[in-house]
Amino acid sequence: MTDFDFLGHDGLVDALLMEVADLLQTFLFHRCPGTIDLLGLPLSPACLAALEQRLGDGEIAVVLRVSGESQIRETSFPGVWWTRHADETGRIVALLIEVADAPEILRAGKADMENSLRRLGEVTNFAQARSAR
Amino acid sequence: MTAKDETLGDMLARRGFSRRGLLKFAIAMTASLALPPGMAQAMAENLAKAKRQSVIWLSFQECTGCLETLLRTSSPTIAGLIFDFISLDYQEALMAASGSAAELTLRQAVAANKGKYLLAIDGSVPVKDGGVYSLTGGKANVSMLEEFSGDAAAILAIGSCAAYGGIPKAHPNPTGAVGVEDVITGKPIVNIPGCPPIPEVLSGVLVYFVSFGRLPDLDDKKRPLAYFGTTIHDQCYRRPFYDQGKFAKSFDDEGARQGWCLFELGCKGPTTHNACASLKWNDGTSFPIESGHGCLGCSEPDFWDQEGGFYTSLAGGTGPGWRDAGIAAAVGIAGGAAAAFAARHKIPKPAKETPE
Repeated sequence: MTDFDFLGHDGLVDALLMEVADLLQTFLFHRCPGTIDLLGLPLSPACLAALEQRLGDGEIAVVLRVSGESQIRETSFPGVWWTRHADETGRIVALLIEVADAPEILRAGKADMENSLRRLGEVTNFAQARSAR
Repeated sequence: MTAKDETLGDMLARRGFSRRGLLKFAIAMTASLALPPGMAQAMAENLAKAKRQSVIWLSFQECTGCLETLLRTSSPTIAGLIFDFISLDYQEALMAASGSAAELTLRQAVAANKGKYLLAIDGSVPVKDGGVYSLTGGKANVSMLEEFSGDAAAILAIGSCAAYGGIPKAHPNPTGAVGVEDVITGKPIVNIPGCPPIPEVLSGVLVYFVSFGRLPDLDDKKRPLAYFGTTIHDQCYRRPFYDQGKFAKSFDDEGARQGWCLFELGCKGPTTHNACASLKWNDGTSFPIESGHGCLGCSEPDFWDQEGGFYTSLAGGTGPGWRDAGIAAAVGIAGGAAAAFAARHKIPKPAKETPE
């Protein structure tokens, strides 16, 4: 029980679920991802918990460890993701519902992959040099 | 590659931050700046390509509290690295140079970044008697402001003194203190008020400027809308108690212990625009209302001279029962003194003997 429970939250949760459905429809028709910034909405902790519970758990859960820990979890609705980004101190800096085949942040960056290729080249060159000796 | 040519993306890669790290930072910043979440990717791409931004910081009639709070932002975050990425070309309190060497540095920085640098000001501008009440190198602050604002891309008025005159402007304002925008017109100015201002607001404004090459949207007092668009009251976690009519009547009554609304104790949250209730202070630890004291309204103009003072309710009235509080305090002090006297003069009992 929190200080905010007397406000009730069913209406807000229903409205957000309708927004999620709308974003999913947009993605299916136009391949245009959508995001809802939950920290920017006046939601009580009870309302957030109710929303998270209504969306449920899906098949994928990813932990991203960069500048603090991020938890990215597909909900029981494929294509609807619950994303929580925390900073190094553990403070939540973004709480999102993302609607996409996969959240953008999961993709590896081109520059990072080029760096990987360079590093792999160094490893293989070293291996070739060693075998030539 | 010289430091001037290096992009933020290069610098972050050099320090081991991946594209995901920068995107995560951009996601957090778009949330902080109340931008559509979809802009995060564009912000990350623009930041990766951005070159080092020159900032020239002049301190006028101030207490250095603004600089102090901004230096206390949490450490090894990307926001911290962006502060590293900014070229702080002149700041008297931080730079090693002094005297004519410092003045030369200032002129060189202005010449090298003409039309591109951000001019950051903390402190009010005294204009009475030709501005003689605050001088740097023998030059009045008002003259420096007029001279160095000319080639600036934009001006950041940091803290309530630079924004509105602040405490130096309080009655009777002996130095004729004013805010930056009372002196400079025709330049983009962003006010970041607060006594002190919230560090994250400055980093948000800097990140926005570096990402998109312009200042964020401002309200009618030239404050970033994302941070000053709502009142403390609108975001306050004690707001439900206000709506229920549950108010603390003194700082130590049952209502105060229950965490009820501090409106009747003079809280200025309903008329104060700032982000303290959401961003909080000391790395998100708390904010004044969470610590049991009403908001003073420090990010609003003339907060020091507001009618009724800090402890009178915005609806008027007499404020908390100071007379009763005074008596209680006096009784407490007297009781404490008596207890302290007794303790200091108490002859310690010999230690109880224990059987061997």
